[in-house]
Amino acid sequence: MPKPAQSGQPADVAAALFLYDRSGAAVYGVSAEQFAAILNEILHKYFAPAPNSPHSSPEQAQQMSDFCAGLRLEELALARACAEGNERAWQDFISRYRQKLHSMALHITRDGAHAAELADSLFADLYGVNARDGLRRSKLVFYTGRGSLEGWLRTVLAQEFINRYRKQKRTVSLEEQTEAGVQFAAAVPDPAATLSPTSDRTSEQRLEAATDEALAELSAEDRFTLASYYLDGRTLAEIARTLGLHESSISRRLDRLATGLRKRILAGLRTRGMSHAQATEALETDVRDIRLNLRSRLTQDSGAKAFPGGRGKVPAPDAGDTSHD
Amino acid sequence: MTEIPKVPKIVYDRLQAAQPVVQDGREPAHPDADLLTAFAEQALSATERDGVLEHLAVCGDCRELIALALPDADVASAPIAGETDTDKVRAPGSRAAAPAPRKLSFAWPSLRWAALAAGVVVAASVLLMRPGKLNQTTSPVSPQVATTAQPGPGSQIATSQNSQNASSPIPSPPMNQSVFSAKTDARRPESELPLSGKRKAVTPSPQVDPGMLLADNKQESAQADKLAAAPRAQAFAFDASASRAANETVEVSGAAAAETTPSAEGNLMARNEAPAIEKAKPAPQGTDLSGQQKASVAPTPAPSRARTATSAAKMAMPAMAFPASPALSRHVTWAITAGVLQRSLDSGQSWQSALRPDHPLLCYATHGADVWTGGQAGTLFHSADGGVTWVQMQPSIKGQQLSADVTHIDIDVDVDVRGPAEVIVFTSNNETWSSTDGGKTWDKK
Repeated sequence: MPKPAQSGQPADVAAALFLYDRSGAAVYGVSAEQFAAILNEILHKYFAPAPNSPHSSPEQAQQMSDFCAGLRLEELALARACAEGNERAWQDFISRYRQKLHSMALHITRDGAHAAELADSLFADLYGVNARDGLRRSKLVFYTGRGSLEGWLRTVLAQEFINRYRKQKRTVSLEEQTEAGVQFAAAVPDPAATLSPTSDRTSEQRLEAATDEALAELSAEDRFTLASYYLDGRTLAEIARTLGLHESSISRRLDRLATGLRKRILAGLRTRGMSHAQATEALETDVRDIRLNLRSRLTQDSGAKAFPGGRGKVPAPDAGDTSHD
Repeated sequence: MTEIPKVPKIVYDRLQAAQPVVQDGREPAHPDADLLTAFAEQALSATERDGVLEHLAVCGDCRELIALALPDADVASAPIAGETDTDKVRAPGSRAAAPAPRKLSFAWPSLRWAALAAGVVVAASVLLMRPGKLNQTTSPVSPQVATTAQPGPGSQIATSQNSQNASSPIPSPPMNQSVFSAKTDARRPESELPLSGKRKAVTPSPQVDPGMLLADNKQESAQADKLAAAPRAQAFAFDASASRAANETVEVSGAAAAETTPSAEGNLMARNEAPAIEKAKPAPQGTDLSGQQKASVAPTPAPSRARTATSAAKMAMPAMAFPASPALSRHVTWAITAGVLQRSLDSGQSWQSALRPDHPLLCYATHGADVWTGGQAGTLFHSADGGVTWVQMQPSIKGQQLSADVTHIDIDVDVDVRGPAEVIVFTSNNETWSSTDGGKTWDKK
């Protein structure tokens, strides 16, 4: 709980009351003190040390002020009032979000039955059905108003869906595994047991070091773009929507990144003692490809391990299968 | 679309090998739903956004979550302008609404046709009913159609710069460290009675003439005034203090509209943007407007004169006097409503006009204080100071000028290149104009 207002800080009281007014929390029976406590809790979460610390600088106080002004106060008030069990707040929440929740769930699951199940489950969590120690704990207390309440609900739904999907994936039946042909998968080659000439290892290490260096020079957004497109197989449109950019910008960025990365890796290899020809060869023909392919071929041919017990590693994507558009 | 080049396989491997940093042997901390939502809605500060991106770059689980939680493409690209409820106002960050203009690029021509078709139908029906009086009956219809398609030049605009009545001499209280400790016994003056029950950000639909809508707002304001015991002064202001980055002080105030005399035809628009954002006339640097429009709002009752129009312009909601600090810029939300660029300083809860050029605007893009907006007939404006001053751009190369509708703008920040970010302008006739020097020179594809 926040410390009560000091008598010499009328400005603070006015500011807090102003935000309280703006939030409309009074409509849902949330008092100014309760709302102040909520804001303090949020500030405590995002600003360390505690916002009430006497050592906070004026700059930090200004940042806090800006931060609070940027919160979605009305939606925050609604969410917290719902968490407290206010009837009117729940009426508003249901009228605003119930239908949207089902639409969002359908968008995520692409299946009507699963969507209804997912949305209902989240609704139960939002209401706080799972009481602990006799106390109802609504999930809405975790909403802090940084983004829209609708967006937050969508994210929570997606999280719930992923958790369920993973649980189901872990408990996949033997029949399904058989259908998937798991038993016919080749054994995963053990990197430690891989015998390779020292020169290859050195070359590989240089390649990895040069690539890591080139990637580290990129901005986080660029690396996110690369990973989303090349690793996750996201479309340009999806990446563009995530970053708030136009598809063509992502396309041009990827073009620039791919070209730039190649140049930087080559330059990195040259600084590690390779000639231009060697560097180009190392980049174009990844020695591990040859080694792994050879090993898996040998393993399959020998039939030594027809039914491996280990989980099959997801094969690295082939560079030839990278077109997503 | 050009084919994306492939990357060497080692890049896949190293991207996949990257993992979130594990500290003290614990599981890596993933951003919570709040942070991820704010990230997806472009509502994070630059520092926070970089932090989230750093994590996302190495965490496939969170990337999957973000992708799954993306709103439907149709929903995401729905124009903000059409939203009328506060809970529907999305895309607090300027770039979040970037996909929207693509929709608008199709919507505007169709709207023009719709308006034309509606005019023809009305004219035909009138002709059928009163065949002898074609000239008399069609005349009231024509202006309405014209203003729907092109509200700027067809409408009379009243500009008001005198807003002294709206601003209180009492400076806004700065928040202290123990900011939010409200006293229960704190008695607020009557003028501060909460208006929240009646609050909603009204963003006019693009199909509606903004002038007409504003007039409608004014009618509604009378009711709002009756409900409110004594509305407080409502104003948004940028405080120009010496310690702040911005030199200009501009008040974009709902109260500024108070001085506007309503037209008998109801077609006058109160232009409540500051003089510094007049069309193609950037305000002189260092001009301090605070003398006439002091940026200060205090929780004191507003003069009664400001009452009617402050609540009349329902887009202007009560707000604090915020300094134009860099920290604030992350809270500025932009949207285009009926061809007018709107700005919100409180995450979309209230809006004010930021730019209203002759031709309707269709799209915008921002990066920090850089704001670009474009619209019909090659309209292109740039502001380098977060929308305080605007400069009209007229891209041209080899005698060719940008004249088509600007349907989309991107600001491409290339970390490799130090200097102004590259701005790319897409037009309705599939031209792509780009500039890497802040609009001084242009390249066309």
